[in-house]
Amino acid sequence: MSSPLTLAPGPATQRPRRVLLALGGTLILATYLFLVVLQPAEIAGGVGSTASLVSLFGFLGGGALLVAGILPTLSTSSLVVMPLGIALNIAIGQIAGSLGMQIYLDAIGTVLVAVLAGPAAGAATGALSNAVWGLFNPFALPFAAGAALIGLLAGLAAKYGAFRRVYLAPVAGLVIGAIGGIVAAPVAVFMFGAAGTVGTNAIIAAFRSMGDVLLVAATKQGLLSDSLDKIVVFVLVALIVYALPQRAVRQFPFARNHRVLGARSAAVAPGPTPSGPVTATPPRGDAAPDA
Amino acid sequence: MPRRRTLDPLTELLAAVLLVVLVLVVNRWEFSLGVLALVVLPAVLLSGKPRQIGVALAVVAGPLLISSLLLHGLFFPEGVSVLATLGPARVTWEGLTFATMMGLRMAVFTGVLLTAAMTLDIPQLLAAMTHRGWDRKLVFVIGSALGLIPHVALRAGQITRAQQSRGLVVGRSPLSRLRALLAVTTPLVIGLLTDASERTSMLEARGFSSSGARTSYLTDTDTTGQRATRWVMTGVVLVFSVVWLVVT
Amino acid sequence: MMRLECHAYAYDDGGAPALADLTCEVRAGEYVVVAGASGSGKTTLARLLAGRTGGDAGAVFRGTLTLADEMLLFSGNPDDPRIDPAAWSAVVAYVAQGAVGQLSMMSATVAEEIAFGPSNRGVPTGELVRLVGEVAGALGLRDLLHRDPRRLSGGQLQRTVIAAAMMQRSRFLVLDEPFQGLDDTAAADVAAALDALRAGGTGVVVCEPMLPRSAPDGARVLGLEGGRVVHEGPLAEALTAGLGRFGIGTAGGSPRLVAGTEAVGGGRPGPGGSRGSVQVPGVTAAGSRELVSVRDVRCRYRSASKRPTSGRSTSRRDSSKRAFSRRNPDCRAASRRGDASSADDHGADTMGDGLRGVDLSVVAGEIVAVTGANGSGKSTLLQLLNGLLRADSGSVTVDGTLITRQATGALARHVGFLFQDTDQQLFERTVLREVSYGPRITGAGKAEALQRASDALERVGLGEFGGSHPYELGFVQRRLVALASIMAVGAPVWVLDEPTAGLDAATRDLLAGLLLQHAAGSGAVVLATHDAAFARSVASWTVRLVGGRLEQIDAG
Repeated sequence: MSSPLTLAPGPATQRPRRVLLALGGTLILATYLFLVVLQPAEIAGGVGSTASLVSLFGFLGGGALLVAGILPTLSTSSLVVMPLGIALNIAIGQIAGSLGMQIYLDAIGTVLVAVLAGPAAGAATGALSNAVWGLFNPFALPFAAGAALIGLLAGLAAKYGAFRRVYLAPVAGLVIGAIGGIVAAPVAVFMFGAAGTVGTNAIIAAFRSMGDVLLVAATKQGLLSDSLDKIVVFVLVALIVYALPQRAVRQFPFARNHRVLGARSAAVAPGPTPSGPVTATPPRGDAAPDA
Repeated sequence: MPRRRTLDPLTELLAAVLLVVLVLVVNRWEFSLGVLALVVLPAVLLSGKPRQIGVALAVVAGPLLISSLLLHGLFFPEGVSVLATLGPARVTWEGLTFATMMGLRMAVFTGVLLTAAMTLDIPQLLAAMTHRGWDRKLVFVIGSALGLIPHVALRAGQITRAQQSRGLVVGRSPLSRLRALLAVTTPLVIGLLTDASERTSMLEARGFSSSGARTSYLTDTDTTGQRATRWVMTGVVLVFSVVWLVVT
Repeated sequence: MMRLECHAYAYDDGGAPALADLTCEVRAGEYVVVAGASGSGKTTLARLLAGRTGGDAGAVFRGTLTLADEMLLFSGNPDDPRIDPAAWSAVVAYVAQGAVGQLSMMSATVAEEIAFGPSNRGVPTGELVRLVGEVAGALGLRDLLHRDPRRLSGGQLQRTVIAAAMMQRSRFLVLDEPFQGLDDTAAADVAAALDALRAGGTGVVVCEPMLPRSAPDGARVLGLEGGRVVHEGPLAEALTAGLGRFGIGTAGGSPRLVAGTEAVGGGRPGPGGSRGSVQVPGVTAAGSRELVSVRDVRCRYRSASKRPTSGRSTSRRDSSKRAFSRRNPDCRAASRRGDASSADDHGADTMGDGLRGVDLSVVAGEIVAVTGANGSGKSTLLQLLNGLLRADSGSVTVDGTLITRQATGALARHVGFLFQDTDQQLFERTVLREVSYGPRITGAGKAEALQRASDALERVGLGEFGGSHPYELGFVQRRLVALASIMAVGAPVWVLDEPTAGLDAATRDLLAGLLLQHAAGSGAVVLATHDAAFARSVASWTVRLVGGRLEQIDAG
């Protein structure tokens, strides 16, 4: 049918720009290796300028290349949920603060997008989240690549079933948090001398007092606090997505096609079982806009 | 906006980024200090909102500077000139120097970028990106995220109050706090996703998927002169950096 | 001409067809009201007209859609035509429920938001400005063009979204409940905008939960029940056709009180106008317990900074945990957040009068309606009653408890609060868990909480939906779930903000009955409402907030 009102059959999504993705990935990896393998000596003596330049532009540029490679492939529904993830990252970080939490929780949005819309959208959300955040807090900028990695890994974890059971989520969080911590450490060290909050720096100080090199101490601290943070984040995201109405989840092809969520009843924390007939059909919504 | 804007936001941002590059390349405390005193300070004072920027700078950079000073000032195992010993901590000359150098770098880094970002007119920045032909998806994600942040914060506040009305009391234990966070986040996410699904349809209906360049309602503030300036600035900084890094 | 012939429309989860055997035709310049109770299929119909056949969301549509001379045939197969949303909306514009979701969120001004569509299609800047100016002039939006679209009142937002949808001069405009939650003035503004469009030849389809009292000349009504057309004809005819038997009531009509609800527990107290509850606080009818006592309360709006509450101060490893402090909110906090809960007080830039010495006394068995224009402070007054806001001076006592420094959550056992936007309250994954949350958190045991929750659900008529997800219910049912949550807690005082907004006739009647029962059972109700007929039917007396003070209106 060739009506001006209809679309041609077949999917309209563009293929990823593989060259950009490969370049971005390589750049990030090379930057990391450069920092870890070649530079540890320099940091002991003074503030290396090459190292900081490399970490800033390697990670930022790599993140930008990844985003440029990913964006064309994203459907409008993935695209629309990304700003939401970014805003949640920032806003929930603040609520967590207001509730007096001791952890950052600034990746909830990234992980949520990754679980619903997939690793590519997750990675782009992570990177762009830090870019947007950079407008309010420049310290977030160099961590863009690390945030992208978190989004990517969370999406992959979701794809391979880490959210089909609620008890698997913290395991995924632990592993991904550890990786994230290891990746973030050199950035923190070479850009800012590992400065963080008093809490995280106390941990670093403890390792330093045992004689660790700054990079090693910061890596150990990253392993500790980031995995704890990501465990909580992954559990929270799992609880949130299981509390979502099915239709809200089904609007995302990734979540639908990869059966990201398991069967509902088994997976959620114990609670009262419904007494009414579960098979009842809900009244068809005049007001369910996601129908 | 009290101040008539003359520079394109992209020119401003690029200038800030190049300045940061220069500071990192030169890597001398004299230069960093000079940038702080001669560039950042006047820019803040002339921004029309010096208080606001000052507070933001203090909030963002202050804690990092203090904790950095404590960390390196007290624990710097590589240090040899010990000034004082306080239990397990040793105050070393090298540690203090390192903390100062890092602190100065962080101060310039935040000072330059935050001042640039806070004097930036966000709608104008988005318009500039659109006029320069940046990917419409990228402009949407950034613009929509910036627009959603206050909306999400407002909604989170409303939901918190609604849940308090139903009996939610935030206790002291971490578990109670996490439960409270969940009670606020879940309806927040559901509501935002409901909106998002409607927004997806809206974008499709409004032709967001069409190809070709997007346009902006706001007039382009860019000029040929500025475009040339941007290229020249970038070139000069690049050449200077290479020369400097080779020479020193 | 636009024509929908629907043989069947069903969602893939096996429920009954949402629409069956239905034909809907709209001509240029026509005004069609699609009226139907919750679940009658209005939204499905509206979305079909908007070209959203739902094929990608697993829905099955069999029928035809005809636009001018172009007919698209759908047989429920995967190879059905896929409508191009951009091309379709150039002919048929659609404004869904819930205007916020239809904002791009990337526009700082109303003008940019309206220009969003054409700018996506590459219309040059100068042309955009001209187009926006034209549309804004036609829809009376000129004064709003520079405003932030996220901070508009309900009516302003609705008109902005209409303008944005109509930028391509679509020949048809389909709106789903565009008047929901608007007061008379705002509704009139929206109606005027629709008139302006119709004068230009646009055919307008408006979905409503009830028949409007009035509509433009020549308005045609399509009454829906259970996905079928049960009535078609001019509005005047529909108003007298007894559509009540199909669950289609008339806006502004008195709720029908089911026999028996009124008399439970000896009936409600007589009109309290002479009791002088406003003028002489504390004087209560003999024998009745005073459940709400507000004495000389002042609550002043201070100049509010319009800076967004977040942003600017977050550090990655967050150093600004102060952004959302947990201070007791005062009236200033309310005005800064601009969240006076009622959609119209909501987010408006103009701040109201605050409260300047308000006295109110409500005894057990009474229902008090609070009326007043938008921004008059109704929501402020309501929120004082459960400690969401704290007064600058004066005292508020509820159920014998003086509200001073207690956390709002601690007052939940005394006061049940229903927000206008009830969706903010729901967060559990089943309706039953949702309703039992209140009793659990206020101290009931698990078994008892579940029992109370099921009882409350039975009373609101949702007994069979205990296992459903709250968001899989319609808007109207979600409001009832929120009401059941309050009922299950068993608080003696109910505070309700615009409880009838957007309800269909049956639910409005049910609500009236439940309020009367609650009062008869020695409870008290304070409700803010624009719904004068509802207030007249259920309220013991009515007060109006004017200039920050309460005025007694003749008893209901």
